[in-house]
Amino acid sequence: MRRAGVLSLVALAPFARAVPAQDSTVQSGVRIGITYAPGTRASLAVMRTASAAGLDSVRAILERDLDHSDRFEVLWRPSAGDVVDSTAIARVVRGGPAQVIALVGDSGGLARITVMDVRSGQWLHRARLPLGDVTAREFRLRVHALADDIVREVAGQAGAAATALLFVQAGRLWQVDADGHGVRALRAAGSPALSPAWAPDGRRIAYTAFVRSGQPIVVQDLASGARTMVPTTEYGLNITPSFAPDGRRLAFAHGTEAGTDIYVWEGGTGVSRLTVGRFADNLSPAWSPDGARIAFVSTRARSPQLYVMNADGTDQEVLARFDFGATGTTSSPAWSPDGALVAFHREVGGVPQVFVLDVAGRAVRQVTGSGRNEDPTWAPDGRHLAFVSTRGGRRDLWVVDLETGRLRQLTSVGGARLPAWSPRFTLTAERE
Amino acid sequence: MKRSTMCRLAVLWAVLLNAACSQNPQPQAATPADSTALRARADSIARAERARADSLAVARRDSIARADALTERSRGDSVRAQILENGGSASPATASGLAAAAEAVLFETVLFEYDRADVRPDQAAKLEAKLAILRANPRLEVQIEGHCDERGPDEYNLALGNRRAAAVKRWFVEHGIAEARLTIVSYGEERPAEQASTEDAFARNRRAEFRVTRAAR
Repeated sequence: MRRAGVLSLVALAPFARAVPAQDSTVQSGVRIGITYAPGTRASLAVMRTASAAGLDSVRAILERDLDHSDRFEVLWRPSAGDVVDSTAIARVVRGGPAQVIALVGDSGGLARITVMDVRSGQWLHRARLPLGDVTAREFRLRVHALADDIVREVAGQAGAAATALLFVQAGRLWQVDADGHGVRALRAAGSPALSPAWAPDGRRIAYTAFVRSGQPIVVQDLASGARTMVPTTEYGLNITPSFAPDGRRLAFAHGTEAGTDIYVWEGGTGVSRLTVGRFADNLSPAWSPDGARIAFVSTRARSPQLYVMNADGTDQEVLARFDFGATGTTSSPAWSPDGALVAFHREVGGVPQVFVLDVAGRAVRQVTGSGRNEDPTWAPDGRHLAFVSTRGGRRDLWVVDLETGRLRQLTSVGGARLPAWSPRFTLTAERE
Repeated sequence: MKRSTMCRLAVLWAVLLNAACSQNPQPQAATPADSTALRARADSIARAERARADSLAVARRDSIARADALTERSRGDSVRAQILENGGSASPATASGLAAAAEAVLFETVLFEYDRADVRPDQAAKLEAKLAILRANPRLEVQIEGHCDERGPDEYNLALGNRRAAAVKRWFVEHGIAEARLTIVSYGEERPAEQASTEDAFARNRRAEFRVTRAAR
């Protein structure tokens, strides 16, 4: 009975504040976090309660994002046309196993999203957003951001739906939203363009462009397309750019006749050198989230392995232990957003597999085992990794949830490689 | 007579190449999940390791001796005359300013072992022949391109290709060619000579290529 009472409240309660016409169109309501038993996932149903145009797309995007967050057991997927009334909702609440319901309703041209903890009857999240063209990137992004908010309110940490990934295919740079929607090519400075990397602001990217004079590191503004060449990279081999968390410094590897070494550009005209390889290769710098340490690949002991150093190049040491001559080629480090883990790939029997290293204890855990799996990149939620895998037959991007082991295929383009997962977008950054 | 030397060299390379190929098992499609292909891959790595046992010092001494002998013969312009066989300063046969036969020698690819950048003993003869052309054509400037097979991390392969090109350049510099005449570039695994994922294709893709950046005349 109490549940039914809450339900009618959900159905009728007007929002206290009117939605302002300008910027902050996503309004958050009461926020009461709910802690579920560790290791279990809250069961969730996403339903729509009105038939206004676009509402079902909002519902479908939300449902998929919440599913991809791997924080919920998504229970009930009504077919696309279904609109549920309060009786149907009451039936789900009374008889169903749903612990959380998300209702997508209509509020005078706005989508109204209400998320409720069924058992306590508490509202976990309320938001409104103006209905728009569901094929438009910005509108989809607003729905993704809303899904991330819901995940934060219910599970304590935001989701990673309002993000995109860069990758390379056929020598070009591509971008795809984290839900696999909207694969699109970027105009790059040269071909092939390799090793795309995001700036922490999500507005700029860096990559290696093969141009006539050499292979410079190019920094490109996504909205305007404006490009800057990193000083000293006009000539020769310049690869694996990586922005520091401050968004100002950029580490990269520069190859000469004496080998390949890691340098840092601090935004001025000069660069400083961090490694002295003497005919060895040092490449693929990956910053720790506090900006203090850099993981990297080095061939100083013949086979490529993982090392770590301070951001000024001091205190270089082995990061992932290896047996000389026995441990396979190890490459592509990526530091997790919380700093606790470094993902990388290592050849096992000549086949690359994704591993995760616990930075404090230095223990490694193999994450993949089927097909070739390489070049892991972290989602900003710190629990999902995207990587290149041949498990589907061709090289495509896949996403694994490290907590549940759940996998999903992100792209179906074939020949995809070198993915880079963006930070969470702020909506203004995406406005074009 | 010089021509017959060149021909003998060419035949020797062909024999060496064939010998190298015939050691390989049947070319196999390297579908990643295919354990046969994996074994073949492991075998090729093992072969590469064995090949490393060859004494590089001996190889280098031999190659220097052979190169010196070639250079000795080139004195008196006999090699130059042969290489620039179209005769004197008349219209060059090619954009490089070299005779077609000389260009073919210069452009012949040099092959490498898996994940190695040092000059293979069995490839030194190719470098010696190129050395003679570089010595006979002091204006000639060359870019050395390092390439890799598709195995190994994509980005690491750019560094590996760079080391391969650098190793070839170093070989020429150690044999007396001015550094300024040689530039290097790495294409990693981005420009395979052959697309197939077979041992033969891998072997042909692990290579240095040569491009003329300044014509011989």
